[in-house]
Amino acid sequence: MDALLDKLRQGDRRSLARAMSLVDGQDAQAEALTDRLRRSTGQVPWWGFTGPPGVGKSTLIDALLTILRQRGRRIGVVAVDPTSPMSDGALLGDRVRMMRHAVDRDVFIRSLATHHREGGLSDATIHCARILEVGGFDPVLIETVGVGQNEVDIASVADLSVVILGPGYGDDIQLIKAGLLEVADLVVVNKCDLPEANRLLKEVHAEFGGMPQAYPAQSSDPETADGGVPSPQPRAKSPVIVGIEAKSGIGVDDLLDRLLECDAAARTPEQRECHRRRRVLGEIRRSAMHRYELALDRALSAPDAADLVNRLETGAVSLESVIAALSEAALRFDFSPPAPRIRS
Amino acid sequence: MNDRTVTATRPKRILIGKVGLDGHDRGAKFIVRALRNAGYEVIYTGIRRTPEQIVRTAVDEDVDAVGLSLLSGAHKELFARVSELIKAEGADNVVLFAGGTIPDKDIPYLKSLGFRHVFTPGVPLSEILSALEQELGAGSTSVTEASP
Repeated sequence: MDALLDKLRQGDRRSLARAMSLVDGQDAQAEALTDRLRRSTGQVPWWGFTGPPGVGKSTLIDALLTILRQRGRRIGVVAVDPTSPMSDGALLGDRVRMMRHAVDRDVFIRSLATHHREGGLSDATIHCARILEVGGFDPVLIETVGVGQNEVDIASVADLSVVILGPGYGDDIQLIKAGLLEVADLVVVNKCDLPEANRLLKEVHAEFGGMPQAYPAQSSDPETADGGVPSPQPRAKSPVIVGIEAKSGIGVDDLLDRLLECDAAARTPEQRECHRRRRVLGEIRRSAMHRYELALDRALSAPDAADLVNRLETGAVSLESVIAALSEAALRFDFSPPAPRIRS
Repeated sequence: MNDRTVTATRPKRILIGKVGLDGHDRGAKFIVRALRNAGYEVIYTGIRRTPEQIVRTAVDEDVDAVGLSLLSGAHKELFARVSELIKAEGADNVVLFAGGTIPDKDIPYLKSLGFRHVFTPGVPLSEILSALEQELGAGSTSVTEASP
C-alpha cells in the first residue's frame, strides 16, 4: 500500500489509473486505499460542475482546462455519466468534448459510471478526486451526470459548486423551485449566443436579487446546523452569476477569475475545516445509506417478509409496525462492504 | 496492482475510437450503443483522433479493450502506431480489436500487430458480442445481492 501511495504521489499515470479502477470496482483491497487517501487529502480545491443534460458542462470544463493550462496549473477531472438502468452498461461520453487535452500530461481526465447511484455522482467519485489530489493535480474538477432538480450530492463533495444553466429549460418558476440553485456558489448561464439567454440571465439575477452579495458563504457548522445530518445546505449568500459561451470560450476567462476569487475566499482555515467536515459527513451518510438499503432489500426478500406484506395489504397490521419489524430484521444483517455486482 | 484485481465487481470498460482523417462514425456509434446495451462501460473518443490521443485515453481510463473503427484505408499505418504506443505504455494486457472497410488480405497483418479480431462489413452483431465476451467475459451483469 505504501508503494502504491508513493507511485500515486509521483503522479505515475498507470498507477493513478489502476488505483481509480480499484476504488471504482469496490474491490476488497479498496478500503485500505480509501482510508489512506482520506487522511492525505483535503488541501486542494475541488470544483463541482452540475446542471441539466446538454447544457454544456463538459464543454465548459474543456474551455477551463485550456485557460488553466495557460496559467500553468495541472488539472484533474472526474466526469460521471449514468449507468443504464436496463443493462448496467454506460456510454461515458463527457471526454469527447475534452479530447484536445488527451495528450497533455498535465491533465488527467477519468470517466466514471454512476453504478445506479442517485444524487448525480458515483460512490467512487470522491475517491478518484482524492487520487488525483494525491497525484498532484490542482484543482480537481468534478462533473456530475446531467441532473434534474434534486441531485445535489455535489454540494457535499466539492468545495465550490458551479450550477450551469442554459436557455430552453423553462421559465422563472423553474428557478424558484427548490433544489439545484440553492447549493450554487456560482451560477453560469451558458449559450449566451442564443436569444433567450439574456432573459434567463436577467431572471437569475432577479431570483437572487434579495440576497446579500458578499462571499464568504455560510460559516455555520454542518454538524449542528442540521441536527447532525450533513444534508446540503442552502447558501447564505447570493451566488456569483456569470454569462458565458463555452463553445467559443467567451466569458470563460472572467468565469475562471470569479472562481478563483470564490476559492480564495473559501480558503480560510475555518472554511476549509467546514468543507472537509461536510465532505466526510456526506461520505459517511451516503455509504451508510447504501448499506442500509441493501440490508432492507434483504429483509424484504426474506420468506417471512411476504407474510408481513400480505397482512399490511389486508389491514391486519399497520405500516408503522411493518417498518419496525423490517428495520429490526435488516439490522441483524452484516454491514460489511457490499458486493453489489456478482457475475452470474 | 499488476494483475487485474477489480474485474469481478465492475462492468468491463471498452474504448471505441476513430483514428485519422475519417469522419464516418455511424458504425462506431452503432457499436458503442450495442456494447452499452450488452452491459459494458464504453468510452467513445469521437472522430479524427491521433493514435497518441487514443492510447493516452485508454491508459488513463484503464480500459480492458480498445476497438478502432476505420473506413479511410489508412488502417495499416494508423493501427500499427496504436499497437506500438500501447506496447510502449506497457498496456499490452488491453485487448485490441478493429472494424471497418478492411480488405481480407490485410487482416493477417493486423493480427500480427496484436489485433485479436477484425470485423468487416456484414459481420453480424451477435458475432462481435460473442467474440468480446470470449475475450472479456460478459458485459451484462445481473445485479445479484449476496444472500444473508
